Amino acid sequence: MDKTTLTPEESLLLITKTIEETKKRFEENGHIIILWGVLTFTVFFLQYFFSLTGLYKKFDIIWTCILFPIGAIYQFIYVRKTMNKKNLPKTLLIRVITTMGWAMGLNLMILGFLFSKQLGDALAPIFLILLALSMIVIGASIKFKPLFIGGILLNLIGLGSFFFTRDYHGLSMMLGAVVGLIIPGILLNKANRKENV
Amino acid sequence: MFNELDPILHSQLRLSIISILMTVEEAEFTFIKESTGAAAGNISIQIKKLQDAGYVKVEKTFKNNYPNTTVSITNRGIKAFEDYVNDLKKYINPKK
Repeated sequence: MDKTTLTPEESLLLITKTIEETKKRFEENGHIIILWGVLTFTVFFLQYFFSLTGLYKKFDIIWTCILFPIGAIYQFIYVRKTMNKKNLPKTLLIRVITTMGWAMGLNLMILGFLFSKQLGDALAPIFLILLALSMIVIGASIKFKPLFIGGILLNLIGLGSFFFTRDYHGLSMMLGAVVGLIIPGILLNKANRKENV
Repeated sequence: MFNELDPILHSQLRLSIISILMTVEEAEFTFIKESTGAAAGNISIQIKKLQDAGYVKVEKTFKNNYPNTTVSITNRGIKAFEDYVNDLKKYINPKK
């Protein structure tokens, strides 16, 4: 593969093609976004279910101690495996998304674990707004409109939740998970598959 | 008047390698090999030429007990690539 006499057109074409193909190799497939969407929806659906059946206290154990940590562990293993399998290079975008994901995830856990009393009714709206910020930044970074729009809708749901009492916050979280995570995640996954066919 | 195209970059494989490195912060040798589809020996020779020109930085470490080579583009390499692309554009659109 070392043709030395390239025409200027061939050179530009080669540069464009190589850059596009390289970018395709580390495109986000939406898997992790769908995972967190489904986890969030499941946790808050269970909260709603348990509150109906009078087992509300059990909810704390499910989300803080079981489901979300399992999600975090799964994400850690999945990211490491994918990076090793594809010999993925380091990029600024991957570093920004990964760092923001961990920083945001840790903050959400800390808020839920340690400050839920202080935050009171504001916990769920703050949760949604923080999540929305991440989705907006990721959507803008990878230039994927559905994720960006999903993030804005999630942000609006978060802000809107301030107008409702805590009783309705479970529904806000479920709606937010579907609109801001699951739907954009599925669309991203479909777009990624279509490009790689 | 056209500038002479940088002979270091004006080669298919070296140009591919530099284009890959422009997209990432650093890439492992295996990633470059998979991306270009070229033979390992040929890639090594071209990376060495790019390194001698000061366009790339090569780091040799160990990963899971195996030697691991990572390559990244230098500021000089970025400048050379940008100049090369600007020169190409002048060749294609001389009026601009």
